[in-house]
Amino acid sequence: MTIIHVCIGSACHLKGAYNVIHGLQKIVEDRKLEDQIIIKANFCLGECTKAVSVRVNDNPILSVDEKNVETFFEEYVLGRV
Amino acid sequence: MTYFTDVAFDSINKYGEELCGDKVEVIKTEDSMIIVLADGLGSGVKANILATLTSKIAGTMLMEGASIDETVDTIVNTLPVCNVRKIAYSTFTILKINEDGSVYTVEYDNPPLIFIRGNRYYDVEKRSSTMINGRPIKESNFRLEPGDTLTVVSDGVIHAGVGAVLNLGWQWENVKDHLTHVAGKEKCAKNVTKNLIEVCKNLYADKPGDDTTVVTVKLRKGEEVDMFTGPPKDSETDPWVIKKFMEGEGKKVVCGGTAANIVSRELKEEIIVNMDFYDGDVPPTANVKGIDLVTEGVLTLCKVVEKIKQYIDDLEINTAYKQGDKDGASKLVKMLIEDCTHLNLWVGKAVNPAHQNTDFPIDLTIKLKVVDELIALMKKLGKQVKVTYV
Repeated sequence: MTIIHVCIGSACHLKGAYNVIHGLQKIVEDRKLEDQIIIKANFCLGECTKAVSVRVNDNPILSVDEKNVETFFEEYVLGRV
Repeated sequence: MTYFTDVAFDSINKYGEELCGDKVEVIKTEDSMIIVLADGLGSGVKANILATLTSKIAGTMLMEGASIDETVDTIVNTLPVCNVRKIAYSTFTILKINEDGSVYTVEYDNPPLIFIRGNRYYDVEKRSSTMINGRPIKESNFRLEPGDTLTVVSDGVIHAGVGAVLNLGWQWENVKDHLTHVAGKEKCAKNVTKNLIEVCKNLYADKPGDDTTVVTVKLRKGEEVDMFTGPPKDSETDPWVIKKFMEGEGKKVVCGGTAANIVSRELKEEIIVNMDFYDGDVPPTANVKGIDLVTEGVLTLCKVVEKIKQYIDDLEINTAYKQGDKDGASKLVKMLIEDCTHLNLWVGKAVNPAHQNTDFPIDLTIKLKVVDELIALMKKLGKQVKVTYV
């Protein structure tokens, strides 16, 4: 099971955390990966300058925005499923 | 046992007038509260001066312990005589409410006060000794219990509708009946006041024929809210701060992602972010066992301040939040307005890197400023606020 943590703290919220979550949900749905990937919202991950902060399992925090959600997913999530 | 006296008042001016001829003065002493509603003769500047003088003199003298006779005598001899009517005149109602719930009232020519317990109106026994201009001053003593509502209105309320939709106006009997339906349902005095004022405004069709004022007093058991926001300046004090924060008896509110993380760590309880509801303006809330409400920090607080401002400024019934609103700001506003008499704030002074981000909107950069605004607004609503910076 892969868990994607998306930060919804103040900075990330302003930078469109909701769109990132929404984008990820859509990708997971489209590819029918619901039983392998969980998307979780998190309060401040402490990397506010990297907004929107996203962490896959316990890996280092990455910066994602609504435009590169797809690339991020291919690169960092798919490999682990 | 001591109680919290929740007082709220609002006025609408006679149509076309800049100044209100009704004046409310609320004075807090160590163990009691003195509330004066004065309604000056006429309207506009003249009425405003009469009412202001009356309420100030009455409030100040009674607070300093003067007798009612002395006070009335001073008022009668101080007020300027009206050129048109050749009398110096302002009606008034004085309420002195002690912390133990005992009440002393003095009424002069205002509509009788309305005392509601549960859903029933109770008559208050009155005695009169002194007269001014041939009209009696009525005094009474009684006791309030928690949940009781005492409402004083100026004659603009009982005349509401004259010249518009009602031939005789709303009338005292009907105001009383309306209050028996409203007073029991609303927990805070401000909502009762707003309700009456809104009805008056509607009856007058937005063109009040007289200055209209409502004062509501509710005796309540104190309800505390403990609110923690922002990480402490020195992270080593985290355990102490959380221990102290949790010790309080009140409802627990945590505002801020980092603050929530600290609470979660110290209480060893997981944060579960609430994703079933998402509002574009206000970031989501979360659940932490043992905490009544967990929200994001500065954005939510900004929204809360905005909503409370709107609540205070709008005379109409509550446009700031609706029962059952699910976003963090509305939930918090409802709690602060309705379920809070005492607010204990724990404000962390650590610098948040997110707020130093150059892309961050300017007015969000200073959370402490937002907290200060919140404190000022809560005081304006008559709440007792205690702040601890950590």
